[in-house]
Amino acid sequence: MSLEEKMRELIMEWEEEQLKELCRSKLDIGEITAPELLQVIGKIMREIGDMFENEEIFLPELVGSADTVKAVIDEVIDPIIRASGEEKKTLGKVVIGTVEGDVHSIGKDLVASFLFSNGFEIYNLGVEVPAEEFIKKAEEVNADVIGLSSLLTMSMDFQKQVIDILKQKGLREKYKVIVGGAPTTEEWAKEIGADGWADDAIEAVELIKELISK
Amino acid sequence: MKLKKLEVFSKEELELIHSSSIQLLEDIGIKVDSEKVKKLLINNGAILNKENPDFIKIPEEIITESLKLVPKSFKLFGPDGNFNFEVNLESTIFATIGTPVKIYDPENKKQVRKSLLKDTINQIRIVDSLKNIVCSHVDVWPNDIQYTAIHGHCIYQWAKNTRKPYGLGCYGRVASKDMMVLTSIIVGGEEELKKKPRLVGFFNPTSPLHLPKIMTNGFEIFAKYNQPTIIAPEALAGSSAPVTLSGLLTQTNAEILASIVLSQSFNPGAPVFFGTVSHVMDMLSGNSALGSAETGLITAGIAQLARYYRVPSRGPGAVTDSKCFDIQNGIERYQTLLLAAQAGINYITCAGTYEATLVESLELLVIDDELVEMINRILEGIVIDEDSIGLDIIKKVATSQTPGMTFLSEKHTRKYMKRDLFIPIHKLFDRHRRTTWKKLGGKDILEIAREKVVQMLNSHKGYELSPAIETELLTRIKEIEKRDLNYYMEKEGIKTGKTSLPGLNLDMEKR
Repeated sequence: MSLEEKMRELIMEWEEEQLKELCRSKLDIGEITAPELLQVIGKIMREIGDMFENEEIFLPELVGSADTVKAVIDEVIDPIIRASGEEKKTLGKVVIGTVEGDVHSIGKDLVASFLFSNGFEIYNLGVEVPAEEFIKKAEEVNADVIGLSSLLTMSMDFQKQVIDILKQKGLREKYKVIVGGAPTTEEWAKEIGADGWADDAIEAVELIKELISK
Repeated sequence: MKLKKLEVFSKEELELIHSSSIQLLEDIGIKVDSEKVKKLLINNGAILNKENPDFIKIPEEIITESLKLVPKSFKLFGPDGNFNFEVNLESTIFATIGTPVKIYDPENKKQVRKSLLKDTINQIRIVDSLKNIVCSHVDVWPNDIQYTAIHGHCIYQWAKNTRKPYGLGCYGRVASKDMMVLTSIIVGGEEELKKKPRLVGFFNPTSPLHLPKIMTNGFEIFAKYNQPTIIAPEALAGSSAPVTLSGLLTQTNAEILASIVLSQSFNPGAPVFFGTVSHVMDMLSGNSALGSAETGLITAGIAQLARYYRVPSRGPGAVTDSKCFDIQNGIERYQTLLLAAQAGINYITCAGTYEATLVESLELLVIDDELVEMINRILEGIVIDEDSIGLDIIKKVATSQTPGMTFLSEKHTRKYMKRDLFIPIHKLFDRHRRTTWKKLGGKDILEIAREKVVQMLNSHKGYELSPAIETELLTRIKEIEKRDLNYYMEKEGIKTGKTSLPGLNLDMEKR
């Protein structure tokens, strides 16, 4: 079994510890470099993402695989890349979270997992994220996109608040801001001055790819 | 635990139905046309009704003895003897029905057209491609084939297009014998056919309390060849049976019990189904209401009676009176299907039909395959044990420091997801968000099912028969084609117009 096949199996079985061990051992003996390992993982995650998009696997299988891989990247691969002073190659950096006043996370997590499996670097801030937090994180990691999720009509206004603060700070043009969540619509996105809106995770990936390429 | 079976009678009520049916059979008996059948029954202990000599009285002891002989389980095989399923007192098996004479025209949602042999073949191939529908039943009438040779052509096409068993009506001795001869050629001999049955027979007593000659003639052949036969009265509450469902069930129970006695007189141990297609008459129009709520209740009553007698049962499901693909179609087909399954019917027929089973739609066959998958999930009920409940996992996720933590990436989720959640097989029920749904073409279920049908038909090329078998079958079919209707009537001993032979007064153009 090739390294890639072995890794695919561990990722799909959510064997986080075994995957970490495998990556560490291969890095230690110099069989593969950290950026190369990242490429292999990226390829596997895109395949898993395609399987999800084609309805061949189920949501927990996608999310669980993404979580497994994320732990390995955060704990094993990233520290090496950072130490070498190189910049990690990804399709783009996305800061994502559910806005203030809203604790709904599933849709947002799905978007995050799906973006991640498609090769984006994800900063998932969780739920009830204050507007300032989104901006702080985006500045810190030099993000490309800020994704704002909201499931409640009552919390939708906080999506607008993030955009308003970005404008006040003169940072609006620096980031693409996208919104989503069950009560939101394309019209709402236009009304609050967002760059885009997506109805589900698959749409979100396409939207972000399109926005970044502009 | 698994879902409990739906019951419509208390123990006392069930026994009252039973004793009332027995009283009918002991007091007046059942009308039998065939002198041969009368003699056979009398030889086995039945008694001629002297006041009404068309009727044969059947005492309870004979019924009890016959019920002891009926197999509680039996298998049905496909033409090559590999594919098979077992019908038993616990099975929930789904099949089609041999009545549609028209087929849905996909070019026009509300139109139908006369069905042809090519439709018969397509229907057999679709059933062969499905997971849960396990038997075809000359479902689509080939209107372009000579009426008197349809059984021959259908068996030939069955052998060439499916690995699953086949069903045919027991219409007469001659046609039934043809069916056995042709099938024996296909499977490699009569002994093989008797050992591993391939055909399901349909035997319909005529309500009230009448065993017509054409049917008993065919029933004898099916029984002697050990082919499982469905005994299925089609009584209509208010016209051919009392309007009360209890009266209808009592009468049809007597019809079935008398037929069971006959089957065991023909061949002790012959496999039969305790069946029904009884329903009610719509008193506003005088039409039959097959998709009615009462159909489900009657079917449940028959299921309970069959369990009481310990005979595998058969009932209708997925039946509707709708003429198009509307909400009525959906409600009635699912209601009858679910009720039949919940009632514990062992062999549920009629998948793929609408307009009271007169019209076939290949798209509905695929939809019904998915409905059956759903129903099988429902019947499984809810599994309860410590690991399933997952107390630890609830505690872990609830107290997690990660905001918005979910169960999605827990191994517990993955372990039980495919056991506890319904997994669609054809993905016909759309659950996308509106944007995605629109992007995928904004299709309704019928359009998606149509695509599946096209895919299945494109990938099904049929099966090869050996040249020797092919030649022999075609030679036999040629011989069958030479016979006219008078030949059949003479052979069956039917000279008067009193007994209706299906198709005798057919005006094909009007169908």
